[in-house]
This record gives sequence, structure tokens and C-alpha cells, in this order.
Amino acid sequence: MASVSFSQIQKSFGKTPVLHGISLDIADGEFMVLVGPSGCGKSTLLRMLAGLEDITAGSIAIDGRVVNELDSKDRDIAMVFQSYALYPHMTVRENMGFSLRLREEKRNLIEERVAAAAKILNLGPYLDRYPRELSGGQRQRVAMGRAIVRDPKVFLFDEPLSNLDAKLRVAMRSEIKALHQRLKTTTVYVTHDQVEAMTMADRIAVMNEGRIEQLGRPLELYDRPANLFVAQFIGSPAMNVFDGAVKGGAVEALGARWPASFSKSGGLEGQRVKYGVRPEHLEPASSGIAAEIVVVEPMGAETELVVKVGDTSLIVMTRGRSTAGPGDRIFLAPDPAHAHLFDAASGLRI
Amino acid sequence: MTSRKLLSEAKLWLVAIPVLLWTLIPIYHIFLFSISTKDSAFSGRLWPKQPTLHNFVTVFNQDHFYLHHFWSQIWNSLWIAVATGVITLAIATCAAFAISRLKVRGGRTVMNAALFTYFIPAAFLAVPMYKAMGTYGLLNSRWSLVLAMVTIASPYAIWVLKQASDKLPWELDEAARIDGATPAQLFRLVYLPLMVPSLVAIFTYALLLAWNEYLYAFLLLSHENTIPLAVGLGHFLSSDDSPWELLMATALIYGLPPAAIYYAFRRYMVGGLTSGAVKS
Repeated sequence: MASVSFSQIQKSFGKTPVLHGISLDIADGEFMVLVGPSGCGKSTLLRMLAGLEDITAGSIAIDGRVVNELDSKDRDIAMVFQSYALYPHMTVRENMGFSLRLREEKRNLIEERVAAAAKILNLGPYLDRYPRELSGGQRQRVAMGRAIVRDPKVFLFDEPLSNLDAKLRVAMRSEIKALHQRLKTTTVYVTHDQVEAMTMADRIAVMNEGRIEQLGRPLELYDRPANLFVAQFIGSPAMNVFDGAVKGGAVEALGARWPASFSKSGGLEGQRVKYGVRPEHLEPASSGIAAEIVVVEPMGAETELVVKVGDTSLIVMTRGRSTAGPGDRIFLAPDPAHAHLFDAASGLRI
Repeated sequence: MTSRKLLSEAKLWLVAIPVLLWTLIPIYHIFLFSISTKDSAFSGRLWPKQPTLHNFVTVFNQDHFYLHHFWSQIWNSLWIAVATGVITLAIATCAAFAISRLKVRGGRTVMNAALFTYFIPAAFLAVPMYKAMGTYGLLNSRWSLVLAMVTIASPYAIWVLKQASDKLPWELDEAARIDGATPAQLFRLVYLPLMVPSLVAIFTYALLLAWNEYLYAFLLLSHENTIPLAVGLGHFLSSDDSPWELLMATALIYGLPPAAIYYAFRRYMVGGLTSGAVKS
């Protein structure tokens, strides 16, 4: 168990800079998720921590010790790859015990550790099989087993669930989380899936174009996104965002007045803003902003409505079932406490 | 079977039968000579009147002027072929690993330089090679032929193994590095086991190349006790009255090991030699 600290990390591939001075401190035992669209540098950051990529500038410390110049094998980390990277010519048992074998541990100690990890992951019956004889989910568990057996200071996960089907992904998600709660090993987890990030993380670092856009607990990011990027990246379905202007304590947009609560009063009158409101905060009301239903998507517990206000499509999430149909007119009454305002030019939260 | 299928099948046979005959008739000819007596060898019959295995007995007993060193010559052939296979494999495997997996600086240049040697026909290199072996005092030693064959086989071997190496997932190396493997352990415990099919193919390729070699063997080795059987067979033609039936019997024996090796490793040959040729 250990803390991890990135300080002013930069990375360039040739002349192309991909990371622009990332600083991030991960506490001992924390589950940190790096999330962002592909190409944002999250995997590169993880691979630098693993020692698989050189560090162009800055330093990385594990447990207070700078590891920039250390080989992967001396960093005391374990990594789970997207492709699992199991050794195809070794059985599950050999795969899991490989790192210990390289360390020339005693045979019975290896046996013991592998058996213990196999028990945690329910891999007991598969120990003598080869990776090709396992399903995707089982392979994923072997990859995790290989990491557990080493009892490393830090677990690294690089999009470990991307190759699994949707149902299995949900199951493995909770397995990984349960595993972390049991072992309490510091974990850095990279994903492009914001749902994974929200459900698993202690804290999330949202990354974009080589920078951390926002760092915080999942619900913090959800409730108070620091900028437009985070607002639109976190949450599913995504937040509705449209242009408007501040006028008389509300926002005029799409030909209507949208209520908002301003953290700093005054000085905003007439400012161009982006008005953001999450679909579940746009519940239909008996009066308010008129909208026309375009599509109704019942999902059982809730119903998703695509509505039009003026020419702009918005998504509305209502609890329970809806009797409305396409073409019906409804009224939206957004709660000012849940409205998000961003500066139109900088995209920063107001 | 529909007529269309029948037609396409017929076209295939139309190609296959001539090719088969083209290959088999000379072999049958060898076989025919080897079971004929000296007098009937040139009778022009498709099957000898009195087929005999006597020629083989003569060969195995070294019972003819040209056959006095048969066993030592076939031993030479085997020794040279196996040594060439082993050394080529060792060189090519290490080179492919270094170039493909360790990404050694300048690796590509080395490989391209090696392949460039194929622009010069091997026959042109024979004389310089002879000179070089002479300088090192290796003429008339089996090692001279082994070294020459390794030189000729290595570039292709490196290229094939490099292509095969490139297809191994890169994450395996990374996983092994994180697991604590040194490059040597990575080579031994992860790389080699996964490369076995390609290694078998390349070993066989180098082995057969050396086994079938004539020109270099003829040039570099001249003593009756050091020459391989291929050159020994050539000596049969040095008189006006060559014992054709014995020559063909020996040739048949000489041709069997390659056939056996091909048969044993046919699964690897096709897969191994073409691996990396196309994206699978």
C-alpha cells in the first residue's frame, strides 16, 4: 500500500506534446479513476506510472520515492491490461505465479498465494486450464489474479472491461470494486466510460487533451462540474446545454426565461452564457416553459423524452411512466438550484 | 454435383495432372534405375524385367569404387545440415528478438543490410567465400561449409522470424516486464515458447538448404572424407562408364531424409514460413 504522486508530468511523442504538466496526488488506499475521451493522455499517464513510457519532464513518486529512473519490475506495481496479456503457453496457475517464480520464491509459497488469489476470484476449478480455454470474463479474472498474487503497492488497470460484453462489464465492475474494498490497495484505473468512473471511483480525474479538467469525488463532479467539458462528459444521458444571456436574474434562451441561481449577484447582467441542466432536473410541470415532445423512450423505471423548445432538442428524464406521446405539448420547470451556468467564452462555471 | 462445379473441378485437374507428372516422372525414373540391373537400366521399359534390391546392398556395403566413403559422406551431410540448422536458428532467433521485441537501435538497418545480400547471387559470392575460408585455414573442414551456409540462410531466417515476432502481442512483453522479467527471462520464458512453430520451420529450412547444397560443398571441400554425399554423387559422373543404377540408388537414399522431415513438420512448414507474409 502506498500513495502515488505525479508532479508536473509532461510527455511528448517526438515533437507532439500529449501531456502538459499533470500534477495529481493519490492517497494511500484510494481508488482513483482517470477518465476522458480517447487520446486525452490517460493511458499514457498510467503507462508512465508503470514504467512502460519514458517521462519527458516532471516526476512520479510511489510511497514518497521518486521512481522516474526505476524499471517497471522495481516499482512494485501490478497492471491489468485491456487485452488481459495472459501468457498463452502457461496455465492459469503458471500465469498467476509467474511474477513470484521470477522472484525465485519458494514453490509452496507460490502455491499458497496462487490458491488464495484463486479463492478470492473463484478461479479454483480453472487453475490447470490454458487462457484459450477460458471465457472473456474468466481471463479478466486471471489477469486480476496475476496482479493480486504479487501483493503490489499499487494496482494499475488500463481499460480492463472494454473487451467484455455489457452484462459482464457490470458484473466485473462490482467485482473489482469489492476486491478493492477487501484489499484496500491503492488503485489507478483508466477508462473512457464515465459510468465506470462514477460507480467505482473514490475520486475521478477527468482528463482532456493532456490536462486534468477537474478532480473530485464522483458526485462532486456531477453536481458541480467546473467547466463545460466536465459537465457534458459526466452523466448519462448528457446534460442539456444551450446558449443564452443573463437578464433580470434569469437566463433568456430559446425564446424563454430559464430560472437560475447566481452564486455571485450582479455584474452578470447581459453576459453571454451557456445554460446547462441535467435531463432529470427538467421534469414536466403544470406550467413553465412550453415544449413539444418528439420522441418517447420508455425504459421501465423512467421515461426519456426528447422534446423541442424552439428549434433545439432537449432531453427530459421523468420518473415512472409517461402517457404522453409525440406531438404533445408539455411544460418544463427547471429547478434553479440545479441549473449550471458557464461563461460562453471560457466555458468555466459561473 | 452441378455442371458448373464439375467444370471448375475439371479445370483444376487439368492443371494438377501435368504438374504432378512433371514432378513424379523424374522421381519414378530414379526409382526405376535404382531397382534395375546394370544391363537393363537403359532398356527403356517402364518396369524392369527382374527388379532387384541388389543396388542398395552394394551402396550400404560400400562395394564400389565410387561408394567407398558412402557412410562417412552421408554422415558429413547430416553433420553439416544439423550444424547449419542449429547455428542459423541461434543467430536468427536472437537477431529477431533484438530487432522486433527489444527494438534495438539500428535493428532495422541491420535487417535491411542482411536482406540486401540477396541482391548478389550466391554463385558470385562463392569465390570470395573460398578466399575467405582459405585465409582462415578452414578449407577442407566441414566448418567452412557450415559457416557459408549459415551466411546464406541467416538473412531470410532473420526476416521470417522478425515478421513472426512482430505478430506476438506487445502487451505480453509489457506484462512480463512488470512481472519482473529481465530481457533474458523474457526471451527464454515467454518469447521462445510462443515462437516454436516458426523456429521449427526455420530450422528445417536451414537444414534442408545445407543438405541440398552442391556448389559451395564442391568448392570448399575436396577430400573424400570431408565432402558431403551431394558432392560424392557428383563424382559418379567423372568416368565415361558411370554406374547409373548405383548413382540413382544412392540418390534415392539421399532424397529420403528431406522428404521425411518435410512430412514430419509439414504442419509447421506452411504456417511458419508464410507467417507474417500476410495480415491474418
